[in-house]
Amino acid sequence: MSLIEFKNVSRIYKVGDHEQKALDNVNLNIEESKFIVILGPSGAGKSTLLNLLGGLDSPTNGQILVEGKDISKLDNNSLADYRASTVGFVFQSYNLIPTLTVFENVSLVKEIVKNPLSVNEMLNEVGLEDHKDKFPSELSGGEQQRVSIARALAKNPKILLCDEPTGALDSETGALVLKVLLSMARNYRKTIIIVTHNQNIAKMADTIIRVKSGHIKEVINQDNPLSVDEVDW
Amino acid sequence: MLFKKLLRTIWHYKAQFISMIIMVLLGVGVFVGFQGEWKSIEQDTFSFYKSTGFADYRLVSEAGYSKEDMDKIASIDGVDKISRYISVKTNESKENDVIAVTVTTNFDVSSFVVTSGEQYDDSSLDAIWVNDQYASKNNYKLNDEMTLKYGAVSLKGTIKGLIKSSEYLICTPGENQMMPDFNTYGYVYISPEKYKTDLGGFEFYPEIHVISKLSKKEFSDSANEKLGKTNLILTKNEITSYFEAQGEASEGKTMASILPVVFLGIAVLIMATTMQRLTINEKTQIGTLKALGFRDARIVRHYTLFGLFIGVIGSLLGVGFGYFIAWFIFNPGGSMGTYFDLPSWAIHMPWWTFLVVFGVVVFMTLISYISAKNMLKGTAADALKPYTPKAMKRLKIEDSKGWRRLKFATKWNLRDLFRHKARSFMTLFGVFGCTVLLVASFLMMDSMIGFVNKFYYGSMNYASQISLKDETTKEKALEIVSYYDADYSASTNVSLNEEAIAMDIYNISHDYVRFLDKEMAYLKLSDDGVYIGQRLMESNNLKIGETFKVSVFGSDTTYTLKLAGQLRTLTKGVVMSQKYADEIGITYKINQVFTSKEKDTINKDTKYSDFISTVKSRNDIIKSFDSFMQVMYVMIGALIVLSIILGIVVLYNLGTMSYFERYRELSTLKVVGFKDKKIGKLLISQNMWLTVAGYLIGVPAGIGITFVLMKALASEYEMKLIFGWMTVVIPLILILGVSLFVSYLVARKNKKIDMVEALKVPE
Repeated sequence: MSLIEFKNVSRIYKVGDHEQKALDNVNLNIEESKFIVILGPSGAGKSTLLNLLGGLDSPTNGQILVEGKDISKLDNNSLADYRASTVGFVFQSYNLIPTLTVFENVSLVKEIVKNPLSVNEMLNEVGLEDHKDKFPSELSGGEQQRVSIARALAKNPKILLCDEPTGALDSETGALVLKVLLSMARNYRKTIIIVTHNQNIAKMADTIIRVKSGHIKEVINQDNPLSVDEVDW
Repeated sequence: MLFKKLLRTIWHYKAQFISMIIMVLLGVGVFVGFQGEWKSIEQDTFSFYKSTGFADYRLVSEAGYSKEDMDKIASIDGVDKISRYISVKTNESKENDVIAVTVTTNFDVSSFVVTSGEQYDDSSLDAIWVNDQYASKNNYKLNDEMTLKYGAVSLKGTIKGLIKSSEYLICTPGENQMMPDFNTYGYVYISPEKYKTDLGGFEFYPEIHVISKLSKKEFSDSANEKLGKTNLILTKNEITSYFEAQGEASEGKTMASILPVVFLGIAVLIMATTMQRLTINEKTQIGTLKALGFRDARIVRHYTLFGLFIGVIGSLLGVGFGYFIAWFIFNPGGSMGTYFDLPSWAIHMPWWTFLVVFGVVVFMTLISYISAKNMLKGTAADALKPYTPKAMKRLKIEDSKGWRRLKFATKWNLRDLFRHKARSFMTLFGVFGCTVLLVASFLMMDSMIGFVNKFYYGSMNYASQISLKDETTKEKALEIVSYYDADYSASTNVSLNEEAIAMDIYNISHDYVRFLDKEMAYLKLSDDGVYIGQRLMESNNLKIGETFKVSVFGSDTTYTLKLAGQLRTLTKGVVMSQKYADEIGITYKINQVFTSKEKDTINKDTKYSDFISTVKSRNDIIKSFDSFMQVMYVMIGALIVLSIILGIVVLYNLGTMSYFERYRELSTLKVVGFKDKKIGKLLISQNMWLTVAGYLIGVPAGIGITFVLMKALASEYEMKLIFGWMTVVIPLILILGVSLFVSYLVARKNKKIDMVEALKVPE
């Protein structure tokens, strides 16, 4: 059984009298512990796909099964539990809490998860153990994104969802962040799904899903993905 | 085009705009309303005094004044108008109500206005002009017959007119009855001709009323010289219908100068913060307009219109609301109408009230102007950048040992409070202000109730008070005292430093009359001196143990009195025991008897009825006190209700502001997996902290303000602050309730957070 299954999923937004199909009858299977990259132009529906999977949004039609459980039918509280236990998010704009220190931002997950990973261990992994008492405003963009990764993984989720995680970073920093992200995801055996415009990131993926105008155009499985160091940034 | 944008922006921020307009409305409304209350009392009573020739000076003599005496006084330079005057209590034949029959020999002085019926005719031998309120309560109509009895004399006549007189503006039969009761007490006027005829050609006028601009000393010196003796001369400031009304106006003025100013201050400051935040929210749009090529001046003008719009609309509504508040307190159908008997109840406003309102509009406009100016600082690119609050810095308390042990929510809220200092301060200030208003309102009410309760229920320990007729001899009076197993007193007027005050001599053996000391405890009159109230002590700079002199009107007799202690009292006067009075040789006439016998029993018993002028039950007096308290309840109640509304608007406004400023953080928490309830708790707990802190500093401030207020009102009441548990507990419950309710309303918004949209916004 696949970890994630999209069955005839559609997401239609109403803008005034006009209906806009962000996703149109999408079917998709994603296996566990894989690194998936979703590629597509702006407005193709890739972020919508990620938001539906993350429980931030609900489909208009269809089913989204995660570990066999249909998350499209969950109520608000169950969705919150799902987000807390099953998925971790990494955003382009980091979304750290500005009034909490690095350590506290990661510790936040202890409030909602019963068996989180060690905060110190996560900060060590992302190389920020010396910055743990700093506030987000005292960190660079790359450092903030690494905190965001540590926070996402500290929940020990099954799936890591990343929306343009390097979009706000220069290529060098972006590569460094990706390296951390991938190595941690692999170390902790996470399924990682990245939405991006960046073709280079796709070279590292186990599976590439191309999305266009709300449809899955193609799914490419790569037998020999490149490592971060092998990609020409 | 920009005007369309203005209207749409207002629509977009409708909740904030409405709350700001409500705040201006409430602040301006309470301010204007309370100013209108005292000004209307002042102005309407002034017009009434003028139209009815309220006298500046009254000469009083038990022997009466002849026409020659009046002519002598009239010859004093500076005396404008003069009249001989009598007001004598009679009994109405139907209900045995007490009616003051009044005669003035010159209708320009101490007269009345006709509200219906015929005008005054000074030669009519039949006409009676009856107070309209008494007539209405007792079913007397124009052309009805009326019979009044005074001893063996019977006055009969036809009601020709219904009237109001400023002499009876506060129509109470005696000083210890605070409120009029037109069911049992009223007044009539008859012509001097009728008076003389009904008395069989005899006329007796114990008072001369004078309208003059002379000072009291000038007038007294001249009057005493002209009449060749010392006279009891009362200024209008010693007449209940004048000093009580002016006291009410001055009390209103004092209240209006403190509590509504606090109210307006809270509203304006919080509104200014909201206005500034609203402009901050518009920063990107301001930047866009600048980038498009709009000149700074035009953009500033556009955003200044927001403040002007809110200021003008809110102030206009506020002025309207203020007039409503003033009318609510000061209208003939309301509680004030049970106190004053006025012909006109027009609402007047001090001119500077409008200047203050104009100032509010200017202030609001200025805040918008400055906020927009600040957003335009730097280049167009700078203006385009969204507003970011200051970067978080470590707080000093983070170095403490306990910090690390704090929960995430506590740390988050604490840091947020310091990061958004202005908003936090304003929330604190809003709660503080509401607490001050509530504590002050409750404390004033508690103190007044406490004082009046102690005064009426405690001090008046008798069932009935019997007033004896003037002709009652001492032997007969003592016989009556013994018959009713009573305590008694002798009251007369004396002069203390040119001021007429009451001198009450008591013989108390049953504790039917008790006195309150400075600490509101009951004291026993000692036999080695006299007692006076705080007002007299202060105005005459007297200290306990010192002696002072009082002089008896109409004679050269003076008495040197030793001050034994201070009393809390409603009246200005000297109180002493009979033993002390006898010791220093004061002559007196027993005129009040206090007994545990009921009024009905005394009225039925005819044994001494020829010597009794009136019998009042304690309940009659207490009933009037309840009406008096109604006036206070209305004013304080209005203030409490409006404070709560202000609290709700302020906390909702700032709560919503806080919610929108933390929208992104809240969305992040939601994405991470926090449930709505947990996020709601975070928001509520921050509001509750500020509420508790605001309350804790608001309580002493509220007590302080009430203390200042009481001090300012000392010329009216000699009250001590009385703290009941309700004084602090009820405001706490109200404030916590309001805060919880508002926080809950704000926290409910969590459910509507659009995580996808919120997280799209760039940092």
